Amino acid sequence: MSLSDDTATRVDDGPVRKRRSLRSRRPAVLGAVLAVIAVAAVVLVVSAGGGDERPAVRAAGGGPVAGGTLTYALAGTQVSLDPAVAATAVTGLIDRNIFDSLVAQTGPDTFAPWLATKWTVSGDGKTYTFTLREGVTFHDGTPFTAEAVKASLDHVVDPATKSAYAASLIAPYEKSRVVSDHVVEVTLKRPFTPFLQALSVPYLGIQSPAALAKPVADYRPVGTGPFSYVSWEKDKRVTLRKNAGYASPPAGASHEGAAYLDTLVFEFVPEDATRWGALTSGQVQAIAGVPPVNAGKLRSLPGFALNSQETPGLNYNLYLNQTRGPLRDVRVRRALSAAVNVEELVRNIYFGHFPVARNPLSRTTASYDPTAESELASYDPDAARRLLDEAGWTKTDADGYRVKDGKTLTLVWPYWAEGNKEQRDVLAEGIQAQAKQVGIKIERPAVDTGAFVAKYLIGGGYDLVDVSFARPTPDVLRFAFASGNTYAKAGGNVALVDSPQIDRWVEEAAETSDPATADKDYAAVQREVLRQAYVLPLYTPVQLTAFSAKVRGVAFDAQTYPVFHGAWLGD
Amino acid sequence: MAPLAIRLARRLALTLFVLWGAATLAFAGMRLVPGDPARIIAGGVQANATPEVLDAIRDQYGLREPVGVQYVLFLGRLLRADLGGSYQLGRPVSSVIGEQLGSTLSLATGAAVLGFCLAVALALLTAGRPRARAISRVLEFCSISTPNFWIGILLLAAFSFRLRWFPVLGDEGAAALVLPCAALALPIAGVLAQVTREGLERALDQPFALTARSRGATENRIRARHALRHAALPVLTLSGWVLGELLAGTVVVETVFARQGLGHVVVAAVRGRDFPVVTGVVVLSALTFSLINIGLDLLYGLVDPRVREAAA
Amino acid sequence: MTAPASYGPAALPRLRVGAAQAGVALAAAFFALVCLAALAPGLFAHGPDQVNPALALRDPMPGHPLGTDQLGRDVLARLVFGARPSLLVGVGSTLLAGLAGSAWGLLAALGGRLVGEAAMRLADVLLSFPAILMALLVVAVLGPGTRNAVLAITVALAPGFARVVRAQALVVRGSAYVRAAVNLGLTPGRILLRHIAPNVVAPLLILATINVGTALIAGASLCFLGLGPQPPAPEWGAMLAQARDYLDASWTLALFPGAAITLTVMSATVVGRALQARYEGREAG
Repeated sequence: MSLSDDTATRVDDGPVRKRRSLRSRRPAVLGAVLAVIAVAAVVLVVSAGGGDERPAVRAAGGGPVAGGTLTYALAGTQVSLDPAVAATAVTGLIDRNIFDSLVAQTGPDTFAPWLATKWTVSGDGKTYTFTLREGVTFHDGTPFTAEAVKASLDHVVDPATKSAYAASLIAPYEKSRVVSDHVVEVTLKRPFTPFLQALSVPYLGIQSPAALAKPVADYRPVGTGPFSYVSWEKDKRVTLRKNAGYASPPAGASHEGAAYLDTLVFEFVPEDATRWGALTSGQVQAIAGVPPVNAGKLRSLPGFALNSQETPGLNYNLYLNQTRGPLRDVRVRRALSAAVNVEELVRNIYFGHFPVARNPLSRTTASYDPTAESELASYDPDAARRLLDEAGWTKTDADGYRVKDGKTLTLVWPYWAEGNKEQRDVLAEGIQAQAKQVGIKIERPAVDTGAFVAKYLIGGGYDLVDVSFARPTPDVLRFAFASGNTYAKAGGNVALVDSPQIDRWVEEAAETSDPATADKDYAAVQREVLRQAYVLPLYTPVQLTAFSAKVRGVAFDAQTYPVFHGAWLGD
Repeated sequence: MAPLAIRLARRLALTLFVLWGAATLAFAGMRLVPGDPARIIAGGVQANATPEVLDAIRDQYGLREPVGVQYVLFLGRLLRADLGGSYQLGRPVSSVIGEQLGSTLSLATGAAVLGFCLAVALALLTAGRPRARAISRVLEFCSISTPNFWIGILLLAAFSFRLRWFPVLGDEGAAALVLPCAALALPIAGVLAQVTREGLERALDQPFALTARSRGATENRIRARHALRHAALPVLTLSGWVLGELLAGTVVVETVFARQGLGHVVVAAVRGRDFPVVTGVVVLSALTFSLINIGLDLLYGLVDPRVREAAA
Repeated sequence: MTAPASYGPAALPRLRVGAAQAGVALAAAFFALVCLAALAPGLFAHGPDQVNPALALRDPMPGHPLGTDQLGRDVLARLVFGARPSLLVGVGSTLLAGLAGSAWGLLAALGGRLVGEAAMRLADVLLSFPAILMALLVVAVLGPGTRNAVLAITVALAPGFARVVRAQALVVRGSAYVRAAVNLGLTPGRILLRHIAPNVVAPLLILATINVGTALIAGASLCFLGLGPQPPAPEWGAMLAQARDYLDASWTLALFPGAAITLTVMSATVVGRALQARYEGREAG
């Protein structure tokens, strides 16, 4: 008897057996045929799909060939096309190809002519006179004159532009005066040594006055650079095209004249693993932000090259809010610093590719003081526990966290998921675990952008916050530690440091024209910051860029931006 | 015809009610959230907006009106098919959705086709054969119990990273669709295969099958031309559920394969508290599902005359 | 599902049934094990938060039978300690949805025509789009986190339960013994408690056990998207999301959490179906 419930229509077992022998083989054959067709279709599709690169025109002699498209995949996304407005690293990277600057930075402290062929500084350090390059035109045909320089600089400081970052770079700017077609005079409110460095960054690239005159909704970036803007597909890619009439490469460029590549595409791919896969499968020719876990593999993979650039400026540091909670006590700050084995964490999470930081400043920045690290509270968990005991956090609760006056030693470190990169969340988990070992509890509330800015960055409701900031000048120390440069005022002082001593040092260093004084002042700042444990330095961000072997001629400037002017695609 | 028209009218009325309910829910959700969308609109962390700028944004997006007024304005805009402007992307929601719809649709359609084909093939091959059916049952059970994003990750690891058969950057071309469709289709195919096979077996035991056999029809012909039609009924009933699972699955599968699409957009909107986008997708999916369910009902009537007569 | 028809010698059916029973026992044991791990993880492993960067991303080795993750943490320990958040979101939400759905369905069946209509229309609205979108909407409002993920899945599942409970309650209400109780003059509350509820609970429980699988997968999906328990909490879906970043370096990292989810879902479903068969068998015979 069968167990089926279809008793009404069930036939008994006899005919069923016969039916089985009569069963035709056709369904099985049919199924097999379908399967073969499916596999064949898959194979066809796979072999048909693949990267599509326009073949470059072959030139005789094996030298640079003109033509081709280079696709460069990177994490992050464009927020605004106007370099004066947006402050993200991505904007700088892309805009470096569209806009030229007045001067080019050639070393930690040296500058070469670019759109300005020469310049003089007045005795009081407040007036700069630039002689401009002749025969240069913007992508829209407007000639490059002193008028353009004035328009660009005025645009940056104009309140209507709402520029936060770029305007902060030239904070003492007062006005510009057009002396003649190719001479412009810029006046500052007070002497400001970092002014030339500020003028060399892409955020202060020279824009076409005609483009700036258009209404904001119609804005398109128009510069004098080797590539002109074509299109921006939001969150997908930015496409640039060769500027055939390029006539203003900086001193030290690979060649005069236009770039070799026809098209330059910046593809936004936030996922590390996907970017990596896109490079190794040939879908893109270059990627930024190679995941450290894969970087070692590149050596064994033929047909790829890895480029590693330490980023000058501030390291990726953890900033301790010294105005709030337990961190008001310098002993607690130094205890946190001593609790974390930064070296072991950084070395292993980044597979040795990111140097461990022992100073708020990266070692490739001018005025870096190597002796300052003696003030750093290095890894020493016993010393950490001792410091916490001294600070009065002697009792521990059931979970092992320290308690004083009935309150647990808790530090709030907001987690802004959208800003996460370079596995910083993994590093944070490691820090959290090690802090727990000495009894410090770190909470990481997940927040969206709005809450992050309003409640934490501006509202100040955090104990710990992490940022890195790249700018090849020690003036970043003023950006990060001068008391007036809070986040609300477009600065980077997230540790809310309020030290008249530090203020004096950074102001003096910015105004002086004597490098020795500047070095002394900046060194003093580095030592004081570490002594007070306002930051826990973590790592120096390294730009790990990988290129397919087909890509030749890519250089990196002193600000670690890739220069595509001399790039070409070989075989 | 008249009973059908009445039924249709009732269903449409219900659809409108459902749409209104979904929109209201989304709006209520929007209002319940603490926090200030003005800052997100201003450009997030990078743009330090001054209070004047924030106020201007609030005026532009109507964020300062009383709740009742906002609700009425919101409904009015919806009636004109205006879904508002995204906070994060600064563009009209309808254009955001429009751009991403194609990618999601191709993924969902591909997975649906793959799922149905697999299910039908499996059912045809294993109906009435105990050993094959047992093996098939086990496989189906496994695929139903497996999360589709895990299948996706495993496929990605094996076929994209290790074997390099398929591209990793999953957007352009048919090759990029293969793995995501497979990940999406497998769990669904499991359920469909079981249901189809049951329907098939039930049909094969009906008297008409015996009659057809006695007249000399081959097994193949009976299965394909007669029994399959009967098996189509339960499958059709499930189609609504299948569609739901497909569109829900695209959310995670698009994340696994880093594909563009509505799923990606929704997740980013949820993470960034971008309510116009979330509302737009909610309303759109409510509309889609209601319309599809109505369509399925009608189709059901077409396929099975008994239903039509029962309704009359 | 119908049991397979029996062909062949008589001994086979018994073997089949025995094998089936063994399968159910195995599934029940596994599910019980997972529940135990959720309640008392310390029994099975320790140190899910023990960071050891020098030993990151290792394959299974002595001392770390399932390997280590990107911070050198033991994968087995994280799997075991991950049972609690994963089950909390999966099973906890099903229980809550069952409770909420029952109350809702009972209200709809017994609360009078207007209330009943309103309750059912609300359920229709909520059921008019897929569960995960509903869950995403809830998380968008409340923010990420374990508690909110549980709420989100509860909201997604409750309308389905409400519908089933209402249907069952209507059937029971119309049955002979309830009408008898009404005629006898028993208070509505008493009727509800002593007669209607018990007959509704059983099918609800069965439905819940079968739905645990769906809830577990939906919960894991939410956590995979980063909307559930936040790091460093080990949760199987979140572990899979992290593993995706290291696919090239260590694919075993992606293997084990997914297997944990799948096996738990399978065992819960097998147990649920066995209960359902038992219950239906009892009803019929």
